[in-house]
Amino acid sequence: MKRRFLFILVILALVLSACGGGGEKSIVRIGWAGSPDNLNPGMGILTESYTIYGLVYDTMYNLNLDGSFTLSIADSVVRSDDGLVYTFKIKDGIKWHDGKPLTAEDVAFTYNLYKDTPEYPYLNGYYTTYFSAVEAKGNEVILTLTEAIPNIESQLVFLYILPKHVWEGVNKLEYENFEMIGSGPFKMAEYAQNEFVRLTANKEHFSRPPKIDEVVFQTFENQDALVQGIKTGQLDLITEMPNTSVESLKTTENVEVVIGAPFSPGVTDIIFNQLDPENCPTDAGGICTGHPALRDRDVRLAMAHATDKQKLIDLILLGLGTPGLTLIPDGLGVWYNNTLKDYEYDVAAANKILDDAGYKDTDGDKIREMPDGSRPLTFRLNWPSDSITSPRTAELLSEMWGEIGITLEMQAVDPDALTAQCCPAFDFDIMIWGWGSDPDPSALLYVYTSEGIPTGSSETGYSNPKYDELYAQQQTELDFETRKSIVWEMQKMVHDDVVYIIPFYDAETQAYRSDRFTGWITDQPKVELSDVTSLVVIEPVK
Amino acid sequence: MNRYQILLRKIGWALFTILFVIILNFFLFRILPGDPARAGVRDPRLKKESIEILRVRFGLDKPIINCFESLNPIKVGSCDVNPLDTQFFIYVRNLLQGELGFSYHTNRPVGELLSERLWNTVLLIGAGQILAIIIGVIFGIVAAWKARTSIDRVAVISSLVAWSLPTFWLGIILLFWGSQNGFPLAGKTTPGMSSMPLLQQWGDLAVHMFLPTLTYTIIYMAEYTLIMRSSLMDVLSEDYILTAKAKGLSNFQILKDHALKNAMLPLVTVIAINLGFTVAGVVQIETVFSWPGLGSAIFEAVNRRDFPVLQGAFLLIAVAVIFANFLADLTYTYLDPRVQTE
Repeated sequence: MKRRFLFILVILALVLSACGGGGEKSIVRIGWAGSPDNLNPGMGILTESYTIYGLVYDTMYNLNLDGSFTLSIADSVVRSDDGLVYTFKIKDGIKWHDGKPLTAEDVAFTYNLYKDTPEYPYLNGYYTTYFSAVEAKGNEVILTLTEAIPNIESQLVFLYILPKHVWEGVNKLEYENFEMIGSGPFKMAEYAQNEFVRLTANKEHFSRPPKIDEVVFQTFENQDALVQGIKTGQLDLITEMPNTSVESLKTTENVEVVIGAPFSPGVTDIIFNQLDPENCPTDAGGICTGHPALRDRDVRLAMAHATDKQKLIDLILLGLGTPGLTLIPDGLGVWYNNTLKDYEYDVAAANKILDDAGYKDTDGDKIREMPDGSRPLTFRLNWPSDSITSPRTAELLSEMWGEIGITLEMQAVDPDALTAQCCPAFDFDIMIWGWGSDPDPSALLYVYTSEGIPTGSSETGYSNPKYDELYAQQQTELDFETRKSIVWEMQKMVHDDVVYIIPFYDAETQAYRSDRFTGWITDQPKVELSDVTSLVVIEPVK
Repeated sequence: MNRYQILLRKIGWALFTILFVIILNFFLFRILPGDPARAGVRDPRLKKESIEILRVRFGLDKPIINCFESLNPIKVGSCDVNPLDTQFFIYVRNLLQGELGFSYHTNRPVGELLSERLWNTVLLIGAGQILAIIIGVIFGIVAAWKARTSIDRVAVISSLVAWSLPTFWLGIILLFWGSQNGFPLAGKTTPGMSSMPLLQQWGDLAVHMFLPTLTYTIIYMAEYTLIMRSSLMDVLSEDYILTAKAKGLSNFQILKDHALKNAMLPLVTVIAINLGFTVAGVVQIETVFSWPGLGSAIFEAVNRRDFPVLQGAFLLIAVAVIFANFLADLTYTYLDPRVQTE
């Protein structure tokens, strides 16, 4: 009875699903684990939102997968001698998806919208900081800055150009932007939050008309299902997967696995609370309960020597990662200081450093005490409870640091509670957490500044006037080579001071069906197959 | 007390419970650590002013209630503020106007967001429950009637196994099996279906619903089979069943007119409780099959400290549970006249 019932249901379902097939359009089906949070570019926060913006909208510059920028909607740009005024000549003949022409007016309107809307958390707060005035003259956009900055490209690369005729009449905060009129290579066709986003090709795009007809991003809340999707051919691309699936996918027929630096390079960091109690930001809610030993560079140095990064990478990431140095990841290309030499894994050396610095085990419990004997080197170690890799990392660190007489009180904490504990409260000893990086190093370099202590950006409480000075310098240094050498110098400084231990930089692993589409861009330093760069060049396998 | 008084009293209690939930909901989430204005936007680029603006926009700059600035960490504030200008009263006022607020995370009206999700969940649970009840009851009856035969043993053992299966595990196994046989892996529609004829859309929905519903049905069917079996066996051992047999009634008549009505009572309770709770409880099935239902919405909202969504969702669940129990009460009085007089 039961079996027959199931049998009938299955037959029914199969018949129905067969009816649903058909169609000759080339549709790329992408599976991802997220979903855009908001289609209004001013309000969106999640990476998934930015992926969609990048496909539907154009920006002044395109970001290439090697980290460089190309001028997009403008024919030319002229910078004034003082570096304060930029004049962009907007291309003729660019059209919005609704057929109206895109003009300099639209660009100026958009930049002013972002500049004048402090409620837009990212696009205003970060990218328009130096904007003084924006105006349109004929087919030119004139952007005046408050300060000469070296990285105008990375400031403009996420400022998506919006159509004035749509946006001037709407409530810019509450507008949900479901129609999403843009000018980019793809048009919004259908959006079901937490289910899928369906985009159709804009074959009339002025520079990058796609060769495919449609892209569908489908949300999977279950990573095993993602992997199953690419194996069975229900999906053409998956943008993430558990590391444990990589090997089995590599041997699956018609599936190619691509590994490289993520588009937004990721850093996993071990944060030491080294805040000097004198700098405690009590006004901003500082509690400052850090263990005094962590303020001593020797202790941090010893811990760095006792950390076997390769073992962490092999055991936790199954080899899919590279050992880290500072918060500036190797995925940032030129900005990454590749001349730094990491502290060697050497337990004996680590023990010697601690012995010499006076941290001795006086009571024979295998745990060292402070030189004055006041308290043992027992540190609290916390990590966000939503992290998959941290519990194992913590376990391994506890083993490794146990070798040098340091014990850990380990606890996973809800991410929000951890933020509250972290900064600017400084109510912790050590945390495992991470960052995703911008194309420009400035944002992550800011995390080390003294200025970031009361604002909650600084996680370590590290304070070095020399570093702060360099930070300010690189922000306004217009010469690329000079700025690069300052940025490299800053990395050396924080590496010498062992502000963090960076166990690894994460690798991006994605997989695509080689029997469906060809032309995916896989030979660049960064890997992001769901980025506009790949989606405008791939074509169906014949 | 007459019928109406009993009914009124029950309605009164239900309303009182809902009122209690409304108040509890507000404070419950604010005791959680973490700042919604910063949840999900831990980023060095975010300026202090931007965070402050977010707080103002969410209304989080206002005191929670008179005398309390915030609940975690507990900050005592001035008691001399206009009570109408506190977060609590704004919440109650909006609720009285049927206004559930806007999601902090997606900026969308909570009412709209939840009703979309609720509908998906109700669809899933509805289909699953109906199938589970029908199959479970039939299996239970057969097992009880054929008690201590091999049919009974098979029914009991397979029910026990099915009932003790972890939901997500069964889900994943069925997902893998299904995906080899052409069933979709996620979602409730095939993207692009909305332009197709209605019949085809329904077919597509049915295909997407098949695996999650099957998972749901297997788990709950087992529970109903076991309860139905044991309750019916109890009834079948009563003297009046023997009398009925002696009167020469057919098996079918005995079951239908004498045994089933009594045996259904415990099942009604369980079904009512399940109906209420599964609104939230299908979160595992929803996650495995990426079904855009209420459970996954709650999960996301908790992660993002999305207070308005949480308040709305919990209110909805509370109302569902209370309403289901209320219905169970009413059904009981209908099924079992003894309840009325007591």
